[in-house]
Amino acid sequence: MKFFFYLTLVLLLVPLQTTVLHHVSVWNIKPDLGLVTAVFIGLFAGEMEGLLLGLAIGWVLSLFSAGELWLSLLTYGGVGLLAGFLGRQVSQVTSISLGVGLLLVSVASGLLALANFKNIDMSQMWGIVESIVLPQACFDGAVGAGLYWLLSQRFDVTRLRTE
Amino acid sequence: MWMVNSRFSSGARRLAFACFALLVAVLFLLPGQIQGLLQYLDGPVGHVVRVPLEAVASIDSGIADRWQQYVALQGVREENQQLRKDIESLRGQNSQLRESAAATERLTALLQFKEQALPAMVAAQVIGRDATNRYRAIILNKGESDGIKPDMGVITPAGVVGRVVKTTGASSVVLLITDPNNAIAGLIQRTRDEGIVEGTQQGLAQLKYIPLLSTLRDGDRVVTSGLVGGFPRGLALGTITHIDKQEGALFQSAELMPEVDVGRVEEVLVIQASYGQSTKAMGGMDLPGKPAP
Repeated sequence: MKFFFYLTLVLLLVPLQTTVLHHVSVWNIKPDLGLVTAVFIGLFAGEMEGLLLGLAIGWVLSLFSAGELWLSLLTYGGVGLLAGFLGRQVSQVTSISLGVGLLLVSVASGLLALANFKNIDMSQMWGIVESIVLPQACFDGAVGAGLYWLLSQRFDVTRLRTE
Repeated sequence: MWMVNSRFSSGARRLAFACFALLVAVLFLLPGQIQGLLQYLDGPVGHVVRVPLEAVASIDSGIADRWQQYVALQGVREENQQLRKDIESLRGQNSQLRESAAATERLTALLQFKEQALPAMVAAQVIGRDATNRYRAIILNKGESDGIKPDMGVITPAGVVGRVVKTTGASSVVLLITDPNNAIAGLIQRTRDEGIVEGTQQGLAQLKYIPLLSTLRDGDRVVTSGLVGGFPRGLALGTITHIDKQEGALFQSAELMPEVDVGRVEEVLVIQASYGQSTKAMGGMDLPGKPAP
């Protein structure tokens, strides 16, 4: 059952991320739902599932992106694992702390991707950080915090995390 | 705030970290093998993912069509009047071009030039944009099973759109001309000076490595030079809008306004073989109609 839930989640992420989200983009920036999903799965289901689902998301999304496969695997897999680890260590996760965590993770993954860019100088690199990496990190953080807040209004998230 | 959760077994946690460490090691030590293994699986996975992707893309384009047909009709009357004026002016230009075409045909026949074959192309629909914000890329609904391979050029009748960088069985990713990671060999049509067209961070393009002695000016058109694979010579890339000539620099560079509005492109043509190869590779492929003179 869980497997089919995860499969549906990964299959739905692709059209959402590639087709639907650019309609709600702000200044041509759309949130990275793959990253947010990996964090949520890691947080609620633990390190192993966070890692495996993160890897699956990274692989499938990389098929529909010009980016490198290894970077995608490392980023999403690593984020799922990290979220699972931190989720088990922190007793009180709030929407604010989750949003800030996602923002930091998104900045780190953006900078890692940027380091892999070829033929760009420092001024261009800084321009990309300002115009893409930071706004996207804010967007990711806001979406993650918003989703967590919605979940916390509907369910007992602390219980969900410890079940 | 911090606590140690004993419920979750530390063995499973160690296993997760070990798996990740192993993955990192394998990715760095055996990148080619991992890439090859995953590429082998890309085809079937691409076909599975294509189903929801195309379903959502068709719903999306249906909604966009309805919006354009019924809701976003403000200012259509003014646009219509402007278009009528444009038609009048284009009719005049068309007549002149017919004359030029006829003259060219006569001269070509006179010089006994062998007529160039049109490149083999396949039409494809844009079904999405890059999954991340870091690349300017579009996703096409055709892939390896339709004969599309990486490095093939992608165009519209207006000009160059970009280059295929990744394919699955049923889809392909095209890096747009406006992406800073893309580089296409270009030629200034008037002066015949060559350079490299790269995307800019602002979503435009720039022509780099233009010889210092080039007499280029604003408004000059830049076309593909045909030197590097993917594109035949003479496809429109853009128009020069600003020239950057710095003192002491070895080359000039120029900003370009791309000929194709890549943000709105919906259908494209993928060049499967260039002029020279097209006659060998044309079997079973869609060919566009030859444009009327």
